[in-house]
Amino acid sequence: MNRWGFIIGLSFGFLLGSGRVSEYQKIHDMLMLRDPYLYLMMGSAVAVAAPLLWLLSRRGWRTPFGGPLTLKRYRPARKDYLGSIVFGAGWAITGSCPGAILAMIGGGSLLGLIVALGAFSGLMLRDVVADRAIARPLPRTSYGELQSIRS
Amino acid sequence: MVHLLPDRLPWFIVGPLIGLTVVWLYALANRPLGASGMFEEVVTLARRPAEATRWRVWLFLGIVAGAAIEALLAGRPASGLAYGSLGDLVPLPLLVPLLFGGGLLVGYGARWAGGCTSGHGICGTAVGSPGSLMAAGTFMVTAILVTAGLHLISGGAL
Repeated sequence: MNRWGFIIGLSFGFLLGSGRVSEYQKIHDMLMLRDPYLYLMMGSAVAVAAPLLWLLSRRGWRTPFGGPLTLKRYRPARKDYLGSIVFGAGWAITGSCPGAILAMIGGGSLLGLIVALGAFSGLMLRDVVADRAIARPLPRTSYGELQSIRS
Repeated sequence: MVHLLPDRLPWFIVGPLIGLTVVWLYALANRPLGASGMFEEVVTLARRPAEATRWRVWLFLGIVAGAAIEALLAGRPASGLAYGSLGDLVPLPLLVPLLFGGGLLVGYGARWAGGCTSGHGICGTAVGSPGSLMAAGTFMVTAILVTAGLHLISGGAL
């Protein structure tokens, strides 16, 4: 699977570069609602993937490396909203999301390395904060609250 | 410079091919093509190498290599220290901490929400997961509002 991982990564990175997701200006113009390109790109990706995935899972597709295909659906939770607000703010400031950061670095951006450093720090910081919340003394939080902090 | 590729391929070619790439990974390994998950895997590899899923680290490296190949074929020079209108507006000594801070929010938020533009926005949405749809809607709206705010604060320079 390592080889497949690299090949799929090559394909995804090549496409992100082709769509110029690797550039601040392109994402900024998307979020300023000046350029519909990236909305159309994302929308058409979903439009192609959704029916194919549905068909594969309906036919009981067995993946060679990960068992039977299971498309995980889950109910929205607090973390989806709060995490996405923080993520959206960072996306707007940097004009870059995790996939775009990697494409930016591939395109020879030195500043992309700074954004990547920030992203790595941010995800490790989130783990520290989540672990602290869990480790809080019991009398202050009920079990239900502990569950909602973790999720 | 040689230009073997146009400056930007049309969305109706790039988008569907990204969709097929997503299906390709699901069909092989039953996992979403989420970029923030790959960042997490790199951290796992550094901290507890035995627990890391190696192929997801290869995916991470593949994206960088794929984008580099595309930039070379399109004959686009390395962007170096250029950063669009943000780079024109903010001097480098300020731009570096700003981008680090923005990146911090990206990583923190994506870890918290359990996904980013690719994981929730494309994969989770294609699967029809209500949680992913809400996450994608939330970060889209937030990013559009914050961008509008930055546009106003910068007096229209951004």
